[in-house]
Amino acid sequence: MTTLTPKNRKPLGALIVRDKYLLLMFLPVFLYYLIFAYLPMVGLVMGFEDFRMGSGFEGLFTSKWVGLKWFNQFFRSPFAFRLIRNTFLLSFYSLIFGFPIPIIFAVAITQLRSRRVAKAAQVITYLPYFISTVVVVGMMTNFLSPSTGIINQIISRLGGKPVNFMSDPSWFRKLYVISGSWQSFGFNSIIFVAAIMGIDPSLYEAMEVDGASRWQRIVHLILPGISETVILLLIMTLGNLLNVGFEKVYLMYSPAVYETGDVISTYVYRQGIENHKYGYAAAVGLFYSAVGFTFVVSSNYLARRVTGSSLW
Amino acid sequence: MKKTRILSLVLALALVFGLIPATAENLAALPLTTEAGATVSILAINSYYSNVDLRDATLLKEIADRAGVTIEWTLIDPSSYADSVSPMLASGKDLPDIIMMPDKDLNMDYLSSGLVEPLDEHFDLMPNYTAFLEKNPIIKGSLTAVDGHIYYVPQTVVTNNYQPVLMYNMPWLEKLGIEAPKTLDEFVDYLRKIKETDMNGNGEADEIPMSLMNAFLPYAFGPAFGMDLVSGYYADDQGVVHYGPYEKENYKAYLTFLNGLYNEGLLEQEFASLDRDQIVARCANDTTGVTFDFSWQMSTLYSAQYESYKADPSKGVIAGAAPLSGEYAGAYIGRNPISNIFGINAKSANKELAIKFLDYAMSEEAQDLYVWGMEGLTYEVDADGVRHFLPRCTEDTIWYQGLGINAPNMPSQQSVPATDVLLAAWHVQNDRDFEEPFIRAPYPEVYSTEEEAEISGMYQVDIQTYVDENAIAFIIGTKNLEADFDAYIATLESMQIGEMLKIRQAQYDRFASATK
Repeated sequence: MTTLTPKNRKPLGALIVRDKYLLLMFLPVFLYYLIFAYLPMVGLVMGFEDFRMGSGFEGLFTSKWVGLKWFNQFFRSPFAFRLIRNTFLLSFYSLIFGFPIPIIFAVAITQLRSRRVAKAAQVITYLPYFISTVVVVGMMTNFLSPSTGIINQIISRLGGKPVNFMSDPSWFRKLYVISGSWQSFGFNSIIFVAAIMGIDPSLYEAMEVDGASRWQRIVHLILPGISETVILLLIMTLGNLLNVGFEKVYLMYSPAVYETGDVISTYVYRQGIENHKYGYAAAVGLFYSAVGFTFVVSSNYLARRVTGSSLW
Repeated sequence: MKKTRILSLVLALALVFGLIPATAENLAALPLTTEAGATVSILAINSYYSNVDLRDATLLKEIADRAGVTIEWTLIDPSSYADSVSPMLASGKDLPDIIMMPDKDLNMDYLSSGLVEPLDEHFDLMPNYTAFLEKNPIIKGSLTAVDGHIYYVPQTVVTNNYQPVLMYNMPWLEKLGIEAPKTLDEFVDYLRKIKETDMNGNGEADEIPMSLMNAFLPYAFGPAFGMDLVSGYYADDQGVVHYGPYEKENYKAYLTFLNGLYNEGLLEQEFASLDRDQIVARCANDTTGVTFDFSWQMSTLYSAQYESYKADPSKGVIAGAAPLSGEYAGAYIGRNPISNIFGINAKSANKELAIKFLDYAMSEEAQDLYVWGMEGLTYEVDADGVRHFLPRCTEDTIWYQGLGINAPNMPSQQSVPATDVLLAAWHVQNDRDFEEPFIRAPYPEVYSTEEEAEISGMYQVDIQTYVDENAIAFIIGTKNLEADFDAYIATLESMQIGEMLKIRQAQYDRFASATK
């Protein structure tokens, strides 16, 4: 371990000069977060104001202060509980069903004997990630249509009754999670495949010599070998837990499935952009962010306590 | 292609601006300015045709030239107009001189924020517009804000003609040997017959009795149950305001009826997502018995799909009929005249010229250009002095629309006679026989006071959401009408529907006394 002695501690200016290219590379990232994440936070003040249309940035300082009025209104709204529940459940299900699949897939694919099959499987599962959400939802609408959709035609051929998947509230979460998982598991498995590849081959050979079965190799070597990666990714995913994809929900939902499909971000959109209630929408959005923040902090804390590794 | 069709009804109606005046008058002195290089900037929607750009539209250039100005357009796709423009207005920065508002501003969000210039203070600059208001007192009444000022110039549409109407497959009615149904019971019988009969004679049971888009259910069946569900809030004959989805008996009866149709397979499973393209396809395959849509589609879109119509276009294949009656007499719901509004940016440095230009865009001279275009370009005048459109107008839609005909981005005015000239004679007659006599005025559009706007802003969105999702749930049966309807009404009450009704009543009373 090296300790910093006054001798090798350089003045800040010299450090900057020394690392100028690194800093230059970092600059766009810094600007991105400054401009698109930190500066707009000033707008949160709108959540406590009766924002006047057309007053722009100055309006943040000149609009009438209404305190917690919008928060009161939201919590008294009959939809508050439902919105929070839907947002939470949609994320939660996406996590518990979506997270393990790439790991299982990665393990499976690395166990394949034929490299060519493994490569092909990876490419095929990887591709849907690049299909835009609009197209995915369009495909769902087509395939799941009660009269012309292929799924329902199979159901009817087998003697079942067609299901109106896209307007049945009990199907919304399943469809959201399944389609999301289908789209991203190939892409998400890459990092796990890499982690598995990173395990020292001599360990495999040693296990083989000792007569370990394939299953034993998976349980005793591969899974422990990638556990660090899994935990790190899990924490990072938890941080995004409440980030339900607005576009996808917005494209998939209709009044028929508001019961399970309406989430905070779509509600904020309807209130803010469609009804110009910027103050109210900002307040709801702020509440949402506060909950999300609590989530990140507590999951990080939990991860540190349980596993010893964490983001900070 | 799809988009073009979806929007074709708006288009269709947009096709028909303006009466054709013998002499198209303009009361303002032209050019409006002698200053070289004078510009007016306008923010508005682009053409409803997604492959037409109105930036260089010949007719709009002509108007600008006559006025002596250059127009700087900011044109945005109509389907995303409100979403793009609302945030621009909220920020209030870099706005153009003339703004087509994203909505009709009934809550006075924009005008009370001082974004738009009160026009009545400049009426000395607006001879054409003041003449228009004098001729249209009801429109003037609707445009007068609670503070007494007039802030906007309207784009208007026809109100009692060419509105949404029931349309039957006439050959099928004939084949069954029946008249068009007049009551709900006859209507259901008709649907059942279609379901059981091989109407198109192709040997397959592919007949879909009814092709009704979700949005038209309230139009088609609301009046028979004594409600105007299109407006939602409506006033009865005594001037008492009701909210359709809160009518304990009538609304329940309406939902029960639709739930029955749904269970019997007469209202298709996918009614909630049915779109116009699908109906067109059904017409092309002759598989549907009845539909409901804007009248315009009757001849130009639906009938046009049939080979028999192409052979003999003197009689409609899909044609309108009288509305259905139930316990209450049937009616069709009309429309409010104002479709869009234009305001002048109060912060514009170019206000005076912008006001003058907007006024000139309202003039009869300009209206004549929107409707007819220019002689030699779009029409010719025969020996009797009657105008005829040149063949290219109907043959080359993209070119024709690209000229800026009917200008969706200008304060253009529709009229019945100008619509009539564009339609087949049987269609015009159909409108006079089955639409006009049955039309009922919708709930008027009235400005809200600040307090009213605040209360309705607080409750109405949530109420609307709740009503929309429950209507579908009751119809498809995920909610049970016997078990859950009372709870639904109770929830509406807890959502302050009472407060909303009080506000709407006050507004209606204001409107009634203003137009007395």
